[in-house]
Amino acid sequence: MFFYYVDLAWRSIKKTPVLSLLMVLAISIGIGITITTLNVYKMMSFNPAGERSDELNAVQLWSQGPDSWDEFNSLVTYQDVMNLRNNTLPKRQAAMFRTGMAVQTEDANFAPILESIRVTDSDFFKLFDVPFLYGSVWDKSVDTEPAYQVVINDKLNQKLFAGQNSVGKVIYLNRKPYQVVGVIEAWDPKPKYYDPTNGAFNDTDQIFVPFSLTPIEEFDIWGNTSGWKFETMNSYSDRLNSEKVWLLYWVELPNKDAVASYRSWLSNYVAEQKALGRFTDTKSAADSVKVSDVATWLEYNHVVPEDNKILVGLSVLFLSVCLVNILGLMLTKFLKRAPEVGVRRAIGASRGQIFAQYMVEVGMIGLFGGLLGLAWAYASLYGLSAQFEVSKGLTHLSASMWIITPSIAVGTALLAGLYPAWVVCRTKPSVYLKSQ
Amino acid sequence: MLSMKNVSKVFKTDLVETHALRDFNLEVNEGEFVAVTGPSGSGKTTFLNIAGLLEGFTHGDYFLDGINVSNLSDNKSATIRNEKIGFIFQGFNLIPDLNLAENIEVPLRYRGFNAKERQRRVQEALEQVGLASRLKHLPTQLSGGQQQRVAIARALAGEPRFLLADEPTGNLDSLMARQVMELLENINQAGTTIIMVTHDPELARRAQRNIQIVDGQVCDFTMYHQGYRHVSDINAATDIDKLVANADR
Repeated sequence: MFFYYVDLAWRSIKKTPVLSLLMVLAISIGIGITITTLNVYKMMSFNPAGERSDELNAVQLWSQGPDSWDEFNSLVTYQDVMNLRNNTLPKRQAAMFRTGMAVQTEDANFAPILESIRVTDSDFFKLFDVPFLYGSVWDKSVDTEPAYQVVINDKLNQKLFAGQNSVGKVIYLNRKPYQVVGVIEAWDPKPKYYDPTNGAFNDTDQIFVPFSLTPIEEFDIWGNTSGWKFETMNSYSDRLNSEKVWLLYWVELPNKDAVASYRSWLSNYVAEQKALGRFTDTKSAADSVKVSDVATWLEYNHVVPEDNKILVGLSVLFLSVCLVNILGLMLTKFLKRAPEVGVRRAIGASRGQIFAQYMVEVGMIGLFGGLLGLAWAYASLYGLSAQFEVSKGLTHLSASMWIITPSIAVGTALLAGLYPAWVVCRTKPSVYLKSQ
Repeated sequence: MLSMKNVSKVFKTDLVETHALRDFNLEVNEGEFVAVTGPSGSGKTTFLNIAGLLEGFTHGDYFLDGINVSNLSDNKSATIRNEKIGFIFQGFNLIPDLNLAENIEVPLRYRGFNAKERQRRVQEALEQVGLASRLKHLPTQLSGGQQQRVAIARALAGEPRFLLADEPTGNLDSLMARQVMELLENINQAGTTIIMVTHDPELARRAQRNIQIVDGQVCDFTMYHQGYRHVSDINAATDIDKLVANADR
């Protein structure tokens, strides 16, 4: 019977094209707006760490003095990083920050390009499950014994080496030669949870160099540096020894016990530092440490702004208004066909069959509305991307939305159609048979 | 076949109670052709609606084909309508968007027949009413008489036990009316029980039995004409001769 109902629905839609179009438009606009905001919200609130979300933890320390910042900073100082690196409790750990350098190859015709670079430890790649296309990360020993080695991504490898296996080749960063030890596959987690402080929805870095080179090469910092007190900065060494926070620190802790142990160790560390005259705030050592899993970390860094949640709410409200309008239009349309329902009821259709027939029609209108709504959403996101330079990661219509959108449209249309279909299926056949 | 015992139907509003049928008693045997007449507002259509399970009733018992259908669920009523009853209406009541074949197969679809069986029955029904060549025509492309024949074909396709016809010739000219009546007579001769409401005394006379409904009650004139002068549960104040005059009018 389903296909019979589909056939009847299609005939009915064709018979009242204007009314049907109005309903489809109303659904599509409501759905289009809702899906646009929902898509942005979904992309923003996605946790790319997946199952490893609980194992990956960002470290925050309350290193500021009294009467300064009133919350944990997401970044930590260089001296804290160097101390934390000595702890072997975490399964993996990595410090990191963002810099940028001019990139050249040995090809004299290649014009230098300025690229964003992540300065980090070897564990970074395993911590964040970065897949390798060629080679691998530099050796663990490089984390303590600096070497001019580099990992690049597939995109840059295409640009520099036409996609060939470039392991062993040399690239120049700010005129210094670095040997390529690995090429990673396309990897672009959104949001960029390992460093939301540098634009959670910006593209990932294309080049990765060892953190141990930092004091030697004195890399620029392409990110935030914050200080809570005045400190003279005459040299890079002054920066490294300062209370300025500018580094992210991640650890992998396989279970809750490991997290508790690590937190306890951190508390002891803060207590030691307090004894040495640092961490001068009155906050206790235990309260001066924060170990956040990925979900908590993203929330703490306000990756999904509150405005966005309100916008989703408003769009759902708008969809509700559209649905009320559709309900009215459907009621008009269906009641107009009550005489036909009377005939069908008289010759053997049950209420359930009539109800099903009209719900299929409603569902079909919802489906058309959903498909058109998808086009609206696609166009809106494209427009947002083109007009406001919004990150493409946010304006990309996610794959799931191609299924979710028609489903929501059909679902909401069915909801709006429940009452009209219920009214029409309760048509008393005897009322219309004589009057037709 | 059809048995109504003390059936009453009362329509109530806030201010008025209207007794459309009161202590209505009727027996129709299998294979009969019964004509129902009566003045406007006497309860003919209400009777037909109740007989066709299109409406419930207030009191009494109704047995159809041996089944007590007094308190059936909506689904059960729909099934019985679909399987046992064929309807023919004054206004034909064909669905204008569907062609003849599609119109005729509507009740067959609700009955769950497969496409092959539906096609066979549609073809047979259309042949029976002489419109086999108009399979794909829309109702609007046919004359009134042809439309009524399609309606009859739709009613016949399900091979019902009995046909309920409400003024089947009311919208037709006399020639067309005669053709439709002949068709109904043929169907009856093939074994289908027919109850036909009509205002046309000539058509009523062609039925095997005439029933007059007055003030929601029934008077069996066949028995009256046979000399029994029996009126079942008729209002005592009603003059039987007036009823006869009414019926012949």
